[in-house]
Amino acid sequence: MTRPAVKASELALSYDGPAVLDGVDFSLDPGSSLCVLGPNGGGKTTLFRALIGELTPLHGSVAVDRRPAYVAQTERTRLDFPVSALDVALMGSLADGRWWLPARRRDRDSAGAALRRVGLGDQAHVRFGELSGGQRQRVLLARALVQDAAVLLLDEPLAGVDPASADRIAALFAELRNEGRTLLVSTHDVESARAFDRVLCLNHRQVAFGEPSAALTRTVLEQTYGDEIVVIEDDAAGGGVRAVTVQHHSHSH
Amino acid sequence: MDLFDALLDPWRSGIERRALIEMALLGGFCGGLGFWVTTFRLSYPAESLAHGMLPGLVIAALAGVPLLLGGVAGVLVAATAIGLAGRDPRVGSDTATAVAVTGMLGLGGLLALAPDAPARLEELLFGNLLAISDSELLAAALLAALGGFALVALHRPLSAVALDPQGASSLGIQPTAVTLALLGMLAAALAVAVQGLGSLLVLAVLVAPAMAVRRHATSPAQGMSAAALTAIVAGIAGVYASDALDIAAGASVALALCLAALVGSALPARQAGRNGGALLRSRASQ
Amino acid sequence: MRIALLEVSLVAVAGGLLGAWIVLRRLAFFAHAVGTATFPGLVIADATGFSATVAGLAVALGFAGGVERVGRAGRDLGDAATALVLVAALALGVVLASDVYESGAAVDRLLFGSALALGGEDLWVAAIAAALAVVATAILGRGWTAVGFDSTGASALGIPTRVADLLLLALVAVAAVAALPAVGALLVTSLFVVPAATATLISGSVQGLLGASVGIALAQGALGLYGSLWLDVPPGPAVAVVGAALYAVVAVARPGHVAPARVEAA
Repeated sequence: MTRPAVKASELALSYDGPAVLDGVDFSLDPGSSLCVLGPNGGGKTTLFRALIGELTPLHGSVAVDRRPAYVAQTERTRLDFPVSALDVALMGSLADGRWWLPARRRDRDSAGAALRRVGLGDQAHVRFGELSGGQRQRVLLARALVQDAAVLLLDEPLAGVDPASADRIAALFAELRNEGRTLLVSTHDVESARAFDRVLCLNHRQVAFGEPSAALTRTVLEQTYGDEIVVIEDDAAGGGVRAVTVQHHSHSH
Repeated sequence: MDLFDALLDPWRSGIERRALIEMALLGGFCGGLGFWVTTFRLSYPAESLAHGMLPGLVIAALAGVPLLLGGVAGVLVAATAIGLAGRDPRVGSDTATAVAVTGMLGLGGLLALAPDAPARLEELLFGNLLAISDSELLAAALLAALGGFALVALHRPLSAVALDPQGASSLGIQPTAVTLALLGMLAAALAVAVQGLGSLLVLAVLVAPAMAVRRHATSPAQGMSAAALTAIVAGIAGVYASDALDIAAGASVALALCLAALVGSALPARQAGRNGGALLRSRASQ
Repeated sequence: MRIALLEVSLVAVAGGLLGAWIVLRRLAFFAHAVGTATFPGLVIADATGFSATVAGLAVALGFAGGVERVGRAGRDLGDAATALVLVAALALGVVLASDVYESGAAVDRLLFGSALALGGEDLWVAAIAAALAVVATAILGRGWTAVGFDSTGASALGIPTRVADLLLLALVAVAAVAALPAVGALLVTSLFVVPAATATLISGSVQGLLGASVGIALAQGALGLYGSLWLDVPPGPAVAVVGAALYAVVAVARPGHVAPARVEAA
């Protein structure tokens, strides 16, 4: 019985007030992948912040095997910072626990290698803010690679990313899983959830957790997304429904 | 009878009567205007304009020109400098504003503290409330009258834009025009109020009353009137205190206003009605 | 004169280094506020013979702590409330100076600095501030960059973000106190924001920003001090005007390149 890579037990989370997320209870084996679905504000990012340790649980507990890497949506990073792609990738080495010391030669090599692995070797010295959305996402992934974490939390990694970058990123996910890392990916793309080992549906509470074919029923999707879901095909014979989400993206990120 | 005398005394003295009337007029308009200044999150820009107008005041004082002109010119130049600095995308607007204001404060200090300059810097920085001239009083009266009229006329468009700018434009109200009107009133208020309170303290009459009432107001109209009233009361109390304690009048008024803000924000809010509370909270929590 | 130049240069080192972080972390208003807030404390110290450094540090650090606490209650409240705190501090200082202690002449010096008053204890404070700035930048620089760039990501990397931020605020407070004798309570930003802002216009990396910021601050400090002695005005305004002029010249001479159109290609 291997130790789970991520385990949440009856977890409730809040920001100095009533619980914004409740009833979260799941366990992930190392090397598996989890798709986290849910509407904006439904708790996906809140859960990730708890997994990082930024939020203390209101009650219940959460445990992650060693420190996870966090790949944010690039809107949350500062685009005007005078940092190059290499500088950002190099930040991953801060996780080695000695962040007050200067970067070492081998950290730089590792950052360079990570950038090449995500296909940005030639852009190492380009300012982060001048890269395209897909390139910025890949740089943040390179940072996670340098961190060499066993668990990766990816917050809507494919949002607003061009198809070519998206393919590269998806291929990278497969490689990471083959290396035995555990991936938690939050997304709005319900269909993509089928490719994952497990799916977790959140809407201020845990609506469902399990294998996609079993968990993604019409009821679950409606409870998760409310009126943001459009059902395309209702497969009554089993195998779940085909659906897409309609998001009301606010324009004030 | 002693208390009665004490209350009436300042009104009998020409100097203090002027100060009291000035604060009543300024408080009434600036307090109400300040409600919108804080709702639109313009405290930092207002403070920047107030500090940035110093060179204008100093040049007017050195040239023997009415301070009101220096104030108007000062605000316009400050606004231009801040606007130009903020347009550079490489530097954040907060930082750019700080650079512009630092430069202008420095320039004002340089001109005012040059060896042969008449020593009036403290008046320009901290106000000259007890030496308000008739013309300055007249300016305050005009400001209160015209500005007050404008505020009343604009208060519904201001509410609409504050609550929901996109929604307001769909109603035919132009957020840009409304915001510009607000900024124009702010500029006028600063140019006039700075005579009495000075470049460094004038912000108090704009921001403190609004801060005192923001948690208690249940509608914008109520908030605006309550802020105006608070400003008048605190302003007059400040003049009384300055007379009784023999301390600088402008500073005394500023402290009274800040005290009002402190007391007002410490008092427990009564159950704010949904609409007014929502308006005050929506712009505040971005 | 040499002592004055030395002190201003030490303050410039601190201001240049910490200024880079102030600009990156959007702390310009805080830098101005923490200096201004010390004014009443300085008036009291000046009139009673108490150490201005201690009085300044007490107020500045208290202010920094308060700001950190309030800042987590919502930004808008912070700006308006901070502005009022500054007004109250200035008003209080004026009342103390002109009516309680009757030391009205000190007001100009405390607000705008004085070249003649430099040296002695102030020199040591400036040296310590400069040393602290250098050491802190060396140790905390990587962490501060990571936190400023992406604070949740930095948390994930194991950086204690709240401690790092508190240390930055505290250091800015301490260094601002060191600057008070030279440039005055109102113009701390002349060495703590303006040089770094100018440096931002010409540098492309954090290291470059730090270096340029210190260089510009040193030049600005020296030119401003000479200017102040030549024109017989306090140093603060001279340094501020030199700095703002330099910023304007660089901003016009090196127009920012428009961000390239984001071609969404791999």
